[in-house]
Amino acid sequence: MELDEFRTSLDAWLDEQEGALAPDHDGLGTLDEQMAQLTKVKRLTFDAGWMRWGWPVRVGGLGGTTLPRAYLGEALTSRDLVEPGIYSMAEVLAPTMIDFAAPELAATMVPRLLRGDETWCQGFSEPGTGSNLASLSCRAVRSHGGWRVTGQKVWTSLAQYSERCVLLTRTGSVESAHRGITALFVDMDSPGITVRPIESMHGVEEFCEVFFDDVAVPFDRTLGEEGQGWSVAMDLLPYERSTSLWHRAAYLHRRLQQLLDAAPPDTLDAAEVGQTTQLLYAFRARSRSTQHRLARGEDLGPETSIDKVLLATIEQAVFDLVGDGLASDLAIGDGTTSERWRTEFLYSRAATIYGGSAEIQRNIIARRLLDLGSDR
Amino acid sequence: MIDAAARELFERGIGHAFDQPTSEAVDAALGELGWHDALAADQRAAVSALFRRQGEVSATSSALDWLLASSLGADGAVVLPALGRWDPPGEVYGPRLRVNGLSRQSIGDRVVVVASARDKDIAFDVPAADLLLRPVHGVDPQLELLEITGETVDVDGQPLIGWEAALALGQLAVGHELVGASRAMLELARAHALERVQFGRPIATFQAIRHRLADSLVAIEAAEAVLDAAWLDRSPQTAAMAKAMSGRSARIAARHCQQVLAGIGFTTEHALHRYVRRVLVLDLLLGSSKALTRKLGSEVVASRQLPPLLPL
Repeated sequence: MELDEFRTSLDAWLDEQEGALAPDHDGLGTLDEQMAQLTKVKRLTFDAGWMRWGWPVRVGGLGGTTLPRAYLGEALTSRDLVEPGIYSMAEVLAPTMIDFAAPELAATMVPRLLRGDETWCQGFSEPGTGSNLASLSCRAVRSHGGWRVTGQKVWTSLAQYSERCVLLTRTGSVESAHRGITALFVDMDSPGITVRPIESMHGVEEFCEVFFDDVAVPFDRTLGEEGQGWSVAMDLLPYERSTSLWHRAAYLHRRLQQLLDAAPPDTLDAAEVGQTTQLLYAFRARSRSTQHRLARGEDLGPETSIDKVLLATIEQAVFDLVGDGLASDLAIGDGTTSERWRTEFLYSRAATIYGGSAEIQRNIIARRLLDLGSDR
Repeated sequence: MIDAAARELFERGIGHAFDQPTSEAVDAALGELGWHDALAADQRAAVSALFRRQGEVSATSSALDWLLASSLGADGAVVLPALGRWDPPGEVYGPRLRVNGLSRQSIGDRVVVVASARDKDIAFDVPAADLLLRPVHGVDPQLELLEITGETVDVDGQPLIGWEAALALGQLAVGHELVGASRAMLELARAHALERVQFGRPIATFQAIRHRLADSLVAIEAAEAVLDAAWLDRSPQTAAMAKAMSGRSARIAARHCQQVLAGIGFTTEHALHRYVRRVLVLDLLLGSSKALTRKLGSEVVASRQLPPLLPL
């Protein structure tokens, strides 16, 4: 389906289904409520076909370019039907499954994620391994009939809701760095897994610690080959920095518009509003070309770090304006609307930390785009 | 639209034109290349290739004046707005026309001055002899600007449509020039960072250096993205954003690259100073980053309305 046709028919369907799609809660909702809402919206959009466009037929999709995926996320986000962060997890994890899982496994699993029948998480970071991903130590060893996994992950978003985890493990020696990593697709109900949510500053238990104590994972759940985990991670990260950011920008646009509607007179500085408006426009222009490159089948790589730096900058700029325009709501407001602004303001402080810190993105830009060589 | 092969040939021709030693010779070479025909055939390709190159090599030409004249259908040199401004350079007081503007080209006997009068714009055909023409030295003498000021009476005026569109086109042109200059500064700083050794290592290995250069690239790519978007939607508001973002990115690049080049970049023995001077003036030409940004912000705050979303 062409993008224009998709856009027109999707918009009409969303208007028509407004009642069925609307959340049952007011405001931002608890994470439980957001997850329930996400499941509902994914199921309705999958069953009506919208969610299937832009995904390969072999994993239950309807084929075509990836542009409908970008537009669907934008439309759902703009209408405040889904929280963009949790919605976009599929954009990060499903492409990796399609590229690296055995075909039968991808064909079975991906539709469950897209339809909202399952939630998946991404087990990358560890307590001693934040930005230095290649130093991870959660170990997988070969045993009779499969891998045995022992170790710990942290900052694993939505692990407490997840049926599956895309997990990076150490299968080589500790010194093997990025060469000795293997990616596994793990059932989260396997014996030996413990999940402990962490309450973060914005009052949501989105991130978790995940403990693996001699967890059995069959060999056919290996993503790619043994020792190829670094390629899996490098394949995944550009997805994390492309379509999901397009969705996030749609959300920031909506929130900036809502701020303009809500801010009392003379609380917003014209120069700062002008600059944030321009940066948001610039991001969307940049991200649009990234989306079209993806749709043409081009491989995305380190240039998506520019998208990520821009988006993190803008997210904080938008909420810095919220801090000006709705200062007392943020500080002492206790109604649903104030709570929502406050939660999102606080979450925006992490925009330069999660998904590869602002420093790491600049390191990637320096090394890979400016060709400045190694930093050692 | 011209095809890829023709575009490559054209871009090579633009490159050769800017190898000429003087701005007159550049103008002549651009004329021989058929830049005016290219402008008619593919405005975006002609404008972006010429101005990007002009910025990269820190050259100057009459192309901005030609572009405005062509957009306005004017016969002869069109006076540009005064530095820092984007409104027409003429003001009408009864029978008198007051002029405060600029030109990037040497002008002949007559100039076209656009003035705003009530609800319409008027183009006046003014004898150059009536006006004061001052060759600008300023911070960047090599830019060869001409300041045009003065008053004249009883000149003929014709109603004119299209100032806004001509201005938008000019803003995109200067935007490309700023991006070209920014990329040139970044390349100079990058080359220096890889060669210059301190504490036994190239300074390119230091994160403080790498992050300044990375931030410069991010700013440049953001500006380039808005330029691309402005060519797609052809809205004056987007063109103004593109100009503002280009000026902003050039100032960011100038600051970071000068710091990375350190002492040598502060001398006239290194090429950087020419770009630093150039972008100071180009940022002001047809509206500075600061002024255009504040204007946009004031409109957004007053109307409580963001610019229309760029569609996927």
